[in-house]
This record gives sequence, structure tokens and C-alpha cells, in this order.
Amino acid sequence: MKKLAGFTVFLCILTMLLVPVTVLAGTKASAKDPIRLGAIWDYAGPCYMLSESAVQGIKIAVDEINAKGGVIGRKLDLIVRDTEMKVDVGARETKDLILREKVNFLVGPCSSGVALAVQVVHAESKVLRVTCMANTEGQVVDKFTPYVTQVVPNTYMEGVAATRFMNKKYPAAKKFCTVAPDYEYGRREEAAFAEEIKKLVPDSEILYQAWPKPGEKDYTSFITAIMAQKPDAVHSSLFGGDLVAFTKQAAPYGFFEKIPFIALYDLPVFVALGADAPEGVMAFGRGCFFMDPNPKMMEFVDKYRKARGAYPDSWAVQAYDSVYLIKAAVEKAKSSDTEKVIKAMEGISLDSLRGKFTIRPLDHMGSVPCYQGIIAKDPKYPFKTWKDIVRVPGDQVWRSEEGVREVWKKTGVTR
Amino acid sequence: MSFDVLFNQFLSGIARGALLFLVASGLSLTFGVLRVLNFAHGSLYMLGAFLSYSIWKWLLIPVYGFYVATLLSALAIAGIGLLIEYTILRRLYARGWPEQLLATYALILIITDIVKWFWGGEFLSIPRPEPFTKAVFLFDFPFPSYNFFIIILGLVLVFFLWWLVYKTRLGDIIRAAAHDRDMVSALGIPIPWLFTSIFVLGAFIAGLSGAVTAPYGAVALGMDIEIIIECFAVVVIGGMGSLPGTLLGSFIVGQVYSFGIMYKPELALAFIFMVMAIVLIIRPWGIFGRPER
Repeated sequence: MKKLAGFTVFLCILTMLLVPVTVLAGTKASAKDPIRLGAIWDYAGPCYMLSESAVQGIKIAVDEINAKGGVIGRKLDLIVRDTEMKVDVGARETKDLILREKVNFLVGPCSSGVALAVQVVHAESKVLRVTCMANTEGQVVDKFTPYVTQVVPNTYMEGVAATRFMNKKYPAAKKFCTVAPDYEYGRREEAAFAEEIKKLVPDSEILYQAWPKPGEKDYTSFITAIMAQKPDAVHSSLFGGDLVAFTKQAAPYGFFEKIPFIALYDLPVFVALGADAPEGVMAFGRGCFFMDPNPKMMEFVDKYRKARGAYPDSWAVQAYDSVYLIKAAVEKAKSSDTEKVIKAMEGISLDSLRGKFTIRPLDHMGSVPCYQGIIAKDPKYPFKTWKDIVRVPGDQVWRSEEGVREVWKKTGVTR
Repeated sequence: MSFDVLFNQFLSGIARGALLFLVASGLSLTFGVLRVLNFAHGSLYMLGAFLSYSIWKWLLIPVYGFYVATLLSALAIAGIGLLIEYTILRRLYARGWPEQLLATYALILIITDIVKWFWGGEFLSIPRPEPFTKAVFLFDFPFPSYNFFIIILGLVLVFFLWWLVYKTRLGDIIRAAAHDRDMVSALGIPIPWLFTSIFVLGAFIAGLSGAVTAPYGAVALGMDIEIIIECFAVVVIGGMGSLPGTLLGSFIVGQVYSFGIMYKPELALAFIFMVMAIVLIIRPWGIFGRPER
């Protein structure tokens, strides 16, 4: 009984301590307070490195903006949180960023699965998130909410652009296999491939689809199963460490000499593969310096190398662009009020590292470019890069407004 | 399906099984004698892979550096195993399962964070070592020679463990201790010493298998959890603590997965655990296992 009484007293004290804090936290932000930016990223598994470079890109942008006096006279504050690449942790951390840290805007995360979980939370709290890596189309189409803006080519755009590129390079290919990581992103990219290839080659056929789990280390059985089908070409949305493992295990089979192949071969994959990167193989990517070496991009490369001592990948580029998109929208709205910023963001154009893009008012999808190329040696860099680069503006591959509305009819979105 | 296609799929399954056996044998050995389910076995495997990468990079011997790096990292992991046994596990043998699981699970978190802190989140990769860079041809179908290296290494390990457990005096003690540790202790054999050496051997195997997977795929965070789950399936199917059971379990899991991928790729992973569930229903102690007393 005595113990219980002690505990009650303890609880009372705790409550008293907490009350003033909540009261203080509830006070309204003044016009001179910093604008608070919540970075929600997945520091785990295949997303760890991607998240690290994204946050680096965000930091560089925030520092730059603050050095020039901030946005509408207010500094940017950055708060970084880790989701551990788990949907429940992602939802919890997002809630905490919103309720306790009082963030005005969110940027992130890496995993499409986590993104959909996070979206439920911040949409409910009416906080705007810019998504620059997780690219499932679900964020802007199936599960549309005005509180999301997407500045990375979504799974549909990326899948369609890569399919068109492959079709242009191998117009005679009719029989296909696919290999993609078994989760939201991989499923959607391959669905986009299946949809588009039927339009381009009506008598085409998908013989076999492999769904290795994300983080798979051993692709041997998948590789032999694909080769047994003797496809004309293979479409893949493998990326990162998974693509490194797949490439190394497929090479001794003569896979890349026998079968045309396309996958997300970008900078980190080339750095890891070194001389093992298969030249002549098709690649798609989301825009890093060797895909789009414009002056603004190369200036960013210098800044990033000074800060990190390494070349920035496309993940850093998109994260950097996100911060500038928020800045542009806040300046246009002359306020950090979410609803006003969303209004300002619809139809806004940004002169980004990847060239100019516009946010489509209907679904908040940016007309961000998709890139494709062929893997090749590059004397300028200590890793392989691309040649024959194609830059496809987002508005050439995104789902038409009618198309979006059609999906909305099915998923019950009204707008 | 023609014969060569099926044969190749079979070989892919063997290669996968060999890889699983390398890791699972250490897990099973530790469990068989120490009666401790070392959750962190996969973490030692991951650490072995990362270490071998760093040593390989540091050695700068392009052709054979890999083999030196593999041996050195396996030894280093054995040393870490010694440290873990001496500081943590030793205190847990007398405790119940929950404490053992909690402590080894804590080790997973600690090792993951050490790897993050030391190597960052990048995925790393070692080129295949000579003379295993090319493919060999079987029935006109190429098969990567490095996979043969892993299969051979698996076989060598099978024979070594078989010899150790069934043909040496240490093996007699190991089997006796697995059966009745109080009796062995009463005969004047220092059980703590025996347990330490078994755990160190298990750690060595974990480090070795981690190092040889480095040129196979990518070295990345998360490879610890990924392998330990499949290893659990292997030892549950084959029987915890049984060497032939681990061998059979690895073979079954490798083949089920490989042919699952060929015929029903969506369910390939599920098939493994269906087999596991069936074994658990019919023989809860695994095919070669003994019922717990």
C-alpha cells in the first residue's frame, strides 16, 4: 500500500512537470520563428546509405539558404528522424515530429512501404510532405492527399520511360522476363512495364516474373530460372546492394552477353561494382551528375564533395531539390501556413539541379525527368558511368489527368 | 522442361544449400553443445563479411588477397567470439531461454550499430578471386565456378566437423557434454573451457562463411537477419544440434527454394516455411534431432 502511495505521488509530480511544457508547446509560432523542417528517413538495410546521402543533400540546401538569410526572413531548422525502415516506427516518428517538434514541412522517406504509412499520419495532421525518394505512385495517385508533393519520377513514370527506352534499343524483343524486389516499389514498376510493353508491342508476352525479397543475397536460382525461359530481354527494377549482388552472380553465366537487360544502375552501384559493372547494359536512373551534367548540377557536385569527400548520387540531388521547392512555395505564399503553401505549390515551376520542372496541380506530381543510358567506361571518373544518355521530361511519361481520374474513380479519391 | 535446365536449377539449389550449411553448421554446433541459441550468429557472419572487405582492401594483394583476408577475418571473428563467450554467454548457461534470447538479441543490435558506425551504410563488394572468376560448362550451360568453390568449402567443413565430432577425443567429449554435461563435469573435464572453445569454433565458422560470401554478392547491413531466419528454418527442419540434420536441412531448403523460384516465384519463400511447419507437426525435434529431455 505504501509503495502504491509513493507511486501516486511520483505520478502527480510527473504530471505537474509535464503540464507547463505542453502549455508552452501550444503557443502559436510567430512570424520571426524559424521554419521547421522534419527529415524522416530510413537508416536501415538497403535504405541506410540512400538516406544518408539524402539528408546530406538536405543539409547542404538548408545551410545555403540560411547563409543567405533564410526564407521570407526566417531561418530553416532541420530535425532528422530515423524510421529504421519500419512502418510502425515511421508512423510514430512522424507523429512525434508533428506534435512535439511542431515541424512545418516533412521531407522523406526512402522506402515506399514506409512512405505510405507515414502519409496516413501527416495527412491526418494536415502537414505537407515532399517525397523525393520513395516513389510509389500510390502516394499521389491511388491514395492521393493534398499533403504530398512528389519530386521523384513515380513508379509509373519510371517504369514507362525505361520500357520505352528498352523498346527503342531492342524493337524486335517480344518475350520478356522481369526481376524486381518483392515490395510496393518493385511490384508497381513491373506493373507499369507490363502495361506499357503491351501498348508498344501488342503481341508481346511476359514469360516469367521473379520476385526476390529485398536484401536477397543469392540470385543464382533466379538467374538460372530466367535463363531457362530464353527471353528476348529482361526488365528489372532491382537497385542498390541487391543489384550489385545480382550483377555479380549473373555475369559468370554470360547473362549480360546473352540477354538485353535494364535496371537501376546508378552511382552507388557503379562505385560498389567497380570493374564488374557490365558495359553495354541498359540503365535507368533519377538524375545524378553524369546523367545531367548541367552547370548548376556540377556546382552542386563541388559543394557536396567539399562537405562529404565523395560524389553525390541522385538521392542527394532530389533531396536538395525538395528543400528549394519548399523555399519557392513558401516565398510565393509569403507564409509558412500549410494550406497557403499547398496553393502556392500547385503549378509552381522550379529551376532545379535536374533542369526545370513543374508541379501538376491535379495530383501534385512534379514533371521531373527520367534518365536512361548505356553503361560505359568514363575516363573522367574512377567508376563507370553512362553513354547515349536520354532525358525524358516527366510530362511525357506521367499518367494523363484522365488516367489519374480513372484510378481515383476506383480508389474513391474525389477532387 | 529439359534435363539440363532442371539440372542447372538443381545446382543453383546446391550452391544455396552449401552457403546455408556454412552458416547453419556453426549455429547448430553451438546449440548442440552449449544449449544456447545464439541469435547473434548471423551478426558474426555479417561482421566477418565486412572485416574481410576491409582487410582485403588494406592488403592490396589483387589476386590472392581474398584468401588471406578470409582467413584473417575468420580468426578475428573467433577472437570476438572468445570475448563474447567470456564476458556475456558464460553467465547465461544456467539461466533460462528468455535471458539467453534477450542477451543474444542485444548482441545483434550492438553489432549492427558497430557496423553502421564503422563502415557506414554503404554496400560493399569484393571481386571474385582467382581462379574462380569464370564459369565452367556443364551440359553446355554455364555455372559460376565460385559457386563450386562454396560447395567444396561446404563439403570440406562437413568432413572437418564430422571428423572432429565423431573421430577425435574432443569429439567424444563434445558429444558426451551435449548428452549430459553434469556427468562430463564430474569426470573432471573442465566444462567452461570446452564451452569456450566450441563457441569460438562456431564464431570462426560464422566469420569464415561471412568472408566467402563477400565476393558472392554484396556486403550490406541487414545480411545478418536475412541469413539467420533461413538458418533457423534449416536447423528446425534438420534437427537442432545435429550435424547430419543441418546438412539435410540445408539441402532441403536450398532445393525447395530453387525449384520454388522456377515454378511459383511468388511463393518460393513461403514453401520453405511450409516445409518447416510440416516437419514441426510430424517431428517437432526435426528430422535428425532428439526430443528435449
